[in-house]
Amino acid sequence: MSEFELLRNITIGQYMPTGSIVHRLDPRAKLLSTLCLAAAFSSLRSILVNALLILLLLLIAKGARIPIRYILRGLLPGIGALLFIFVLQLFFQGWREPSGQVYFEWEFIRITRYSLYVIVLGVLRVVAFLFLISLLTLTTSSSHLMHGIETLLAPLRRIGFPVHEVALVNMIALRFVPTLAEELERIMKAQASRCGEIGGRNIWRPDKAARTRLPLIIPLFLSALRRAEDLIVAMEARCYGSGTNRTKFVQLKGGWLDGVVVVGIIGICLLAWLTPWPSIHRLLPGM
Amino acid sequence: MRISTRSIVVAGLLLAVAIVLAVTRLGYFPVPNVTDDATIMHVPAIIGGVLEGPVVGLLVSLVFGINAYFRYVGLPFFAGQPAWVPVLVLFVPRLFIGIVAWLVYRALHKTNQVVALAAAGVAGTLTNTILVLGFAIGLGVLPAAIIPTALPQAIFEMVVAAIITVAVVAAWKQIDTGRGSSV
Repeated sequence: MSEFELLRNITIGQYMPTGSIVHRLDPRAKLLSTLCLAAAFSSLRSILVNALLILLLLLIAKGARIPIRYILRGLLPGIGALLFIFVLQLFFQGWREPSGQVYFEWEFIRITRYSLYVIVLGVLRVVAFLFLISLLTLTTSSSHLMHGIETLLAPLRRIGFPVHEVALVNMIALRFVPTLAEELERIMKAQASRCGEIGGRNIWRPDKAARTRLPLIIPLFLSALRRAEDLIVAMEARCYGSGTNRTKFVQLKGGWLDGVVVVGIIGICLLAWLTPWPSIHRLLPGM
Repeated sequence: MRISTRSIVVAGLLLAVAIVLAVTRLGYFPVPNVTDDATIMHVPAIIGGVLEGPVVGLLVSLVFGINAYFRYVGLPFFAGQPAWVPVLVLFVPRLFIGIVAWLVYRALHKTNQVVALAAAGVAGTLTNTILVLGFAIGLGVLPAAIIPTALPQAIFEMVVAAIITVAVVAAWKQIDTGRGSSV
């Protein structure tokens, strides 16, 4: 029955209200901190500093009272493909960077210090981005997230960028991800009850995969479009209209704690960028 | 720039479909190549462009590109690269998917609706594949030798994107595909 339980592995888009101090922070502070940390993870090449920043994310998750296992569950759906890519990199990356210590070499397989470094850095980055996005959406409701994105991007309105519209598209998408996942579960159960195949992965029969999945995917699209029509009618019936004169019922009010958090995260990222971190192999004897 | 409520809502729902297909792995089809599974994550952008025009196509593509960036930036291919390289490889090419699909559909829909839909699906997929691979190879992220290994994936993606685009849009707009009703 676990193949029907899709919502279990969807942590993105789900809000988990625990009333923690992280939940009470202004969404703009959380967005700025997320962006700063994302930039740090994208550009920092030291394994040590990436690991330390992930430790920081774990502490934030603990402070937000979000179970770590719940966030890591988001990795499960993609873990097969990731492992495949990492194994390929492990075996073949060594030929790309021929210098450095060679740990294993046989025929076309070459495992060097550089290939191990690339793999470990890749794993840390994948885990880091999963944590960043999940923490943001688990600790911030969709409407607050939208308000935060819209406020931060407001200066772009002057050059004609549709800030409100992009924020609303994001909010609608996040709001409907769990709903569509439930719909997909219903479709899968309906297909299975009619003896339709819903699983299987055979790389030599992609046509079979297409035949089993298309009866799930096409109804999902049509269901999404039907929901879109209902939402359009609901919004237009309430005289919704985008434009520069929109006001908001919810007004975001930042506090001193939000400032401290943003400055703190920026400070940590600057420290991470400017500090000459030692390579991990110097810290691990024998590497 | 004024964007209609319809465009915003349809873009949001199509983006939600793309996210659900990604996190449930339903949008990844196993193919016999060494690179990756074939994906249909770009199909919502194609359908958005065909159904509601270039604005929706661009909106879905924009957010799809952001999602693709955060999803793949951690891969080992980008480990030693400057920060702007994954932006150029993962984000920028996706912006054109919906727009190219709309252009192709608009050019052909008066001739034959079904052919126009299929061509839009193929064109949008080709845009994604050629631009992503082109930037990746041009910037040294991937070797040119990857092209033959990515071919099975690309061909499969084109076929599936064409099928889904025709099936979804024809059903939604009640276009007669000539295959009759199953009811």
